[in-house]
Amino acid sequence: MLRELALIAFTILAQMSVGAFLVLGVVKFFVARKAGQEEADRMGDRSLIAIIIVLGLGMLASLWHLGNPLSAPRAVTNFATSWLSREILAGVVFAVLGLLYAVLQWFKLGPIILRNIIGWLAGLVGIVLVLCMAMVYMLPTQPAWNNLATPISFFTTTLLLGVLAMGAAYVANYAYLKKKNPGCADQQCELLRNVLRWIAVVAVILLGIEFVLIPVYLVSLATGSPQAVESAKLIAGPLGLTFLFRMILAFLGAGVFGFFLYQNAQSAGREKVLSYMAYAAFILVFVAEVLGRFIFYSSQVGITL
Amino acid sequence: MAKQLAFYFDASACTGCKACAMACKDKNNLPVGINWRKVFDYGGGGWIQHPAHPEFMIPNNVFVYSTSTACMHCEKPLCAEACPAKAIFKRDDGVVLIDKDLCIGCRYCEWACPYGAPQFNEELGVMTKCDFCQDYLAQGQNPACVDQCPQRALGFGELDELRQMYGNINAIEPLPSSDISHPAIVITPHKHSQPSGQGTGRIIKLPEV
Repeated sequence: MLRELALIAFTILAQMSVGAFLVLGVVKFFVARKAGQEEADRMGDRSLIAIIIVLGLGMLASLWHLGNPLSAPRAVTNFATSWLSREILAGVVFAVLGLLYAVLQWFKLGPIILRNIIGWLAGLVGIVLVLCMAMVYMLPTQPAWNNLATPISFFTTTLLLGVLAMGAAYVANYAYLKKKNPGCADQQCELLRNVLRWIAVVAVILLGIEFVLIPVYLVSLATGSPQAVESAKLIAGPLGLTFLFRMILAFLGAGVFGFFLYQNAQSAGREKVLSYMAYAAFILVFVAEVLGRFIFYSSQVGITL
Repeated sequence: MAKQLAFYFDASACTGCKACAMACKDKNNLPVGINWRKVFDYGGGGWIQHPAHPEFMIPNNVFVYSTSTACMHCEKPLCAEACPAKAIFKRDDGVVLIDKDLCIGCRYCEWACPYGAPQFNEELGVMTKCDFCQDYLAQGQNPACVDQCPQRALGFGELDELRQMYGNINAIEPLPSSDISHPAIVITPHKHSQPSGQGTGRIIKLPEV
């Protein structure tokens, strides 16, 4: 159980940081075109600290499931055949590039073009990391995992947590800016409302993908191999209530609060409400995704004696 | 052909006494919960009403047979492919071994193996599994399980030679399909043995003292 908690923490936190990093990059790209690099940096750069911390916590948690944590560095040696090695390798490279980008960006070192290249490279490695994470579970002996639902749901989780975490980060950053320098807030306020509208739209779309994927996945389990049927029975039976909670929380967070977020971001003057909406959406979806990952590990029935 | 050491199992001779599992446990001094060799009883069938006396039931197709399993020292060892630390390797003679000094205890091989061969030792923090009694082999002795079987249902040798002698069967219920990892095992089936994936029975777990 402790081991599964470590894996839940690692996969959720690492995916969230990859998603947040990607969202940060995309938002920054568009904001820079619209309002200039300086405003874009001011809007997003503080969240880099949070992203790095979240990733670090996730990687620390992953050590917890080892019988022999001190020898963890050896886990990258078999990258020729082992997806687990590739996952860890991609995780380390993502962390190093992400940290490098954060440091260069924070102290404004080097030309902007170089910083941007490092940033996009880190994002690309992040995508590779999530792909490797999915491949780790696609073992021929694990029917509940060895299907397309694993990579699709991992990427959905990555982006859903990514957009909503960044939504929360942007409102927090805005509150900080406003407190520090009330005069500067006008343009940031406009940008914030724009971004939050997009975040709400993307969150609702991702929720839609989850709500199509999950039933399709459950039907394919229920009509699959004997082990897959056992997995489906676990989800419908002992894990049923958790599953229901997971769906309701995801719907409330990304759907209901996503809708209100969109509504309230239409006109200026509701920043306080907006920030509550953004926090609530993120927290609800975060809990939903943690429960979803718990179900992922707990419904595993392998082909084994 | 590369050398490939393999176990031979005669399901038609096995009585399910589990002397092999005990010999293994004893020889390797395995802690509670870890069993490198296991015996599975597999059975099925049912009862039907007597045609003339519906108050009586008569057994119909009732069967049970036992299968002794350990690490299959697969030709395609998924555990070794999965291991991130290169701790699992295939020796020149085909035996799959775990180097416990390299193992980091991530238990990923446990998910990859279709036979439940790699088992986690909580105390050592590493994975352990059947090593084909490599120390006995080096001294020219047989593996402990092979020597202990009162029915002579277990044997070992070169996979090719065993196949020539006993045929190509390597998957009967409740073993998984041999397509997954190409196990180095040759089986003489029991008269009731069913091919993997086409079983009508189930693993029977009776309480043991």
